[in-house]
Amino acid sequence: MNFRKVWTIARHEYLVNVRRPGFLIMTGLVPLLGGLLLLVAAFASGKTMHMLERIFVGQHMTGVVDESGLFTPILPDFARDYQLYPDESSGREALAAKAISRLIIIPDDYLDSGKITVITASTGVDMANIADSQPLKRFFIAHLARGVPDPRLRARLVAPYDPTILHLNGETESETQGPFAYISHLVVPYVLSILLIMTIFVSSSYLLRGVSEEKTNRIMEILLSSVTADELLAGKVMGLGALGLTQIVIWVVAGFALSGGAAGLLGLIIPLFDAPGIFLLAILYYLLGFLMYAVLMGSVGALGSDMQEAQQLAAIFSLLAAVPLMFAGVLFSNPDSPIFRVISWFPLTAPTAMMLRLPLTNVPLVDIVGSLVLILITIPFVLWLGARLFRLGILMYGKRPSVREIWHLLRMT
Amino acid sequence: MNEPIIHVQHLRKTYGDVVAVKDLSLTVFRGELFGLLGPNGAGKTTTIRILMDIYAPDAGEIQVLGKRPRQVRSRVGYLPEERGLYRKQRVMDVLLYLAELKGMPRKQAREQASYWLERVDLQDWAQHKVEDLSRGMQQKLQFVASVVHDPELLILDEPFQGLDPVNVELVKAILDELRDSGKTILLSAHQMNLVEELCNRIVLIHQGEAVLYGEVDAIKRRYAPNRVKVRTNRPLEQLPGVRRIERQEDGDLLELAEGVTPQSLLRELVRRDIPIEMFEVAPMSLNDIFIAVVQGESSPQEREARS
Repeated sequence: MNFRKVWTIARHEYLVNVRRPGFLIMTGLVPLLGGLLLLVAAFASGKTMHMLERIFVGQHMTGVVDESGLFTPILPDFARDYQLYPDESSGREALAAKAISRLIIIPDDYLDSGKITVITASTGVDMANIADSQPLKRFFIAHLARGVPDPRLRARLVAPYDPTILHLNGETESETQGPFAYISHLVVPYVLSILLIMTIFVSSSYLLRGVSEEKTNRIMEILLSSVTADELLAGKVMGLGALGLTQIVIWVVAGFALSGGAAGLLGLIIPLFDAPGIFLLAILYYLLGFLMYAVLMGSVGALGSDMQEAQQLAAIFSLLAAVPLMFAGVLFSNPDSPIFRVISWFPLTAPTAMMLRLPLTNVPLVDIVGSLVLILITIPFVLWLGARLFRLGILMYGKRPSVREIWHLLRMT
Repeated sequence: MNEPIIHVQHLRKTYGDVVAVKDLSLTVFRGELFGLLGPNGAGKTTTIRILMDIYAPDAGEIQVLGKRPRQVRSRVGYLPEERGLYRKQRVMDVLLYLAELKGMPRKQAREQASYWLERVDLQDWAQHKVEDLSRGMQQKLQFVASVVHDPELLILDEPFQGLDPVNVELVKAILDELRDSGKTILLSAHQMNLVEELCNRIVLIHQGEAVLYGEVDAIKRRYAPNRVKVRTNRPLEQLPGVRRIERQEDGDLLELAEGVTPQSLLRELVRRDIPIEMFEVAPMSLNDIFIAVVQGESSPQEREARS
């Protein structure tokens, strides 16, 4: 095998596919969605609600017409955002003049009924959230608790708890901050695993498409007059593997930037680096899985007579690799269930199964070693078979060979 | 004689039960423009693919540039019959990639690509996508792709396919030029007149075997002597040694019996005092020979040899 030629092919495949609109969209979309998710999560969190309200709605004053007398005068803590008005008409005038963005009328029977009226000029986010608005609730509780003599009790009524969450993580207990840290601890690595699996499919589908295109537009024969089929396949697998890794690096870096940029709201990406061993192991499974699926996809792409047929054939392998995803329910309830251990060992499902399982549980060492050994035993066979099918398929035009023909030809070569 | 560039001995290739090449032997020498002819399905493309190490032969010995095909593929240029390039990529990028795959350094590849694009008048298209080119331009580009890495041996499968007369002349001129500069060219083509013009030696493959092989002139001479074209105002009938007379617009085509030479016929015509306006030993065109051989006729010599 001529490695300079393999390198030339790998570079070409990388450069061509890195410019594909599909690749750019997917690479950009994931951090974008992540960012959105972060914002949504922050929105749902009461602690950050106020801040985000300010970001999205802008600084706003709330006018208060206090007929109950419970809110007069306004506590100094709230004076920046709340303004008293003697009656409804003067409040409405202020609203019309945009001095305030909403007006709250608290009737004199408020203590009995709890009813208030909110008049607002905007139809924005703040409207939808008034019922649950934490800042507004705090405003009410703080003023209603004015009569409580114990200042500590007063403070607890306004802010009942400040949690420290301890997460059981093997022998060590790690401290996580923020209400979503626990979920992110579980979800982020899982999502990353799914992203890795997606990357395998995306890159190997590029391989499939590339081979199929080269076959359809007949450039294959020119390529094969310069390089061997094995060099071609090796170059393609390398180039597209690098492409997949590029995508992951971009995602991880974007994740860093996002969680950093969100002013430490939620340390979303941090759980990933709590356990670098698991992360590295996931990458190892990723590389092995990619190698296996890419070679299989490439050879299958070579066998199909056109793109559509190639994709139909490739679906067999996609399905196989997706089996662990189908058992996601089992996985969440019991990551060490027998069925999941079986698909963790079976070489064709092991990479995806293990990538899903690793972040959720302490996978027994025997499973890790066993599955890796089985994969490493399988890979030479997959390479042998894949390269042969590839060689067979690339020059076969017009019709797809039958299984019997493939078997016959395999034995001949 | 000269240094053999392609040397094929008893080549055989089958696909299942189908015999594509039965028993083919041929030698192409350095500096030759060699014609590979044959009807569709004769085994030309299979032979070429074996020479390019795309297929492995079932039997036979093949040497290209003195070595096994796999060892010399970077010194060989190949224009396949089935055309195709990366349609979505730029002309220059495609040429650079293909030249690099042949082992040419990028810088040199760029110089070569620029030279060749200019040579075929495509220099303004270097940065365009291949799919923007017209069909004829794509054919020229495909030709350039086969020579861009400056190969010693050029194997061209139907290089004139899809070219207009102007571009046929252009490619012909380039082929002559390449031959004059010492390159060896194996050419497969259907256009017999072009092969006749360009090639000094040919092989005609039929059903996987060489049925004609050698210098074009010699082959033509072998077929020619027994046909004579005569124009006269007298009807020609019952001449001794003439097997058949075919009336044509510009004269009569006389097919002579074995052992009868044009000279003896001329003597007979003079003896009979027939006024001759034109007397010509009618050569068969390569095309006629091609058709005759493929349809099962054999040359006079072969007929003699058999009887």
